[in-house]
Amino acid sequence: MSDTVLHRPATLHAALELLADNPDAHAIAGGVSLVAIINAQLLAPTALVSLRGIGELEGIRATPDGGIAIGAMTRHRAVAAEARLRGPLGCVSEAARSIASPPVRNMGTIGGSISLGDPGADLPPALVAVDATIEIANARRTRRLSAREFFVDWYTTALEPGELVTAVRLPASESGTACYEKLVRVAGDICIASVALSVSSSGTARAALGGCGPAPVFSDEADALLSRGLGDAASVQAAGAALGRVAKPMDDVRGSADYRRMLIPRMLARAAARAFAQLERAA
Amino acid sequence: MSIACRLNVNGAIQSVEVDGAETLLTTLRERLALLGAKRGCDQGVCGACTVLMDGMPVRACLSLAANCADSPLTTIEALNRDALGRDLQHAFVELGAVQCGFCTSGMLLTAYALLRDNPSAELDDVREALSGNLCRCSGYRKIIDAVLHVARPRGS
Repeated sequence: MSDTVLHRPATLHAALELLADNPDAHAIAGGVSLVAIINAQLLAPTALVSLRGIGELEGIRATPDGGIAIGAMTRHRAVAAEARLRGPLGCVSEAARSIASPPVRNMGTIGGSISLGDPGADLPPALVAVDATIEIANARRTRRLSAREFFVDWYTTALEPGELVTAVRLPASESGTACYEKLVRVAGDICIASVALSVSSSGTARAALGGCGPAPVFSDEADALLSRGLGDAASVQAAGAALGRVAKPMDDVRGSADYRRMLIPRMLARAAARAFAQLERAA
Repeated sequence: MSIACRLNVNGAIQSVEVDGAETLLTTLRERLALLGAKRGCDQGVCGACTVLMDGMPVRACLSLAANCADSPLTTIEALNRDALGRDLQHAFVELGAVQCGFCTSGMLLTAYALLRDNPSAELDDVREALSGNLCRCSGYRKIIDAVLHVARPRGS
């Protein structure tokens, strides 16, 4: 029998104080990844700080600037079903719908998922594509980082000891469209590779890849090419090549690095064709 | 450190002392002698440990017992308390949806939550709902048939 202290603070402030006072403590959100890691005996925490039941971390709300704030403890199930995540933000809910299985989506949270920094996870590329901002707090201060800055390396984010993700903010959305394409071996698996694409009706496009490097892969050059028009096959092809140049895929059980390099332009073209068709239908 | 907590399992309050990192699956099986939830992968992948928390299917192997104190829990042991649960159990028996039985409790609880929320679930709904429950006998066809057998045709 292990000997782990479980703290159950009622407020965010109390949770942050506990993390500040107990440097060895791990915060636990939905538990989907952390408890699996404990069960695999890769971690034997002396203390856990549960974020369950902290009301200020729950729920999805509109912000005064017209954007949307998703509390860190919001379940994937709620993000997947959120009607306000439409248009250029639609890839966020589509990515949430593609996570694992329904029971896991009933447990897992957006804050917990992104804090793990899993390179094959679904939400990180979607959040990069919509230019999300990650709200972070410790016991003394809060700060904000763009999703591009937040994901740093394999299972490594910009979070420092004692810090928690408190919310994910999505920018005010004009009309437009988005999509999330995910290639998997079997339903519910981590992706071999994925593409999130977000396009405003004015034509500005942003893409990000999952499973193709230590963190979501993005490229200003690719985004500029995509913004020329998703119906322009040569530009889409060139954007795929640009993303391929900055991707750092690895060989793993799901596929080789070479296979992933081959997938990148094809999956981007598929996402662009789908987004283009969605824009045409809306016009 | 052991934590005293009161779990609401199948409508009864159970007082237990658990370690902070103890999973709900361990508590159910080893402290409460409720053996219907199975320990398969211990990674949340196989679905054999599925229970209902606040009415929704979750993985008991990934839930901390002390974190479940505020939520009503339903295990397979209480599924026969209403008509939908009994109908599903009978359909599984009648249509041969049980082989070794290890996945069955997770399949039934997941199917129960689906049909409670969507009584007219169709093939794709059933496949999606059960996508996180593995049957190593690979008896999926009859499991899906049994769930569809209980689902009401749309519009009826």
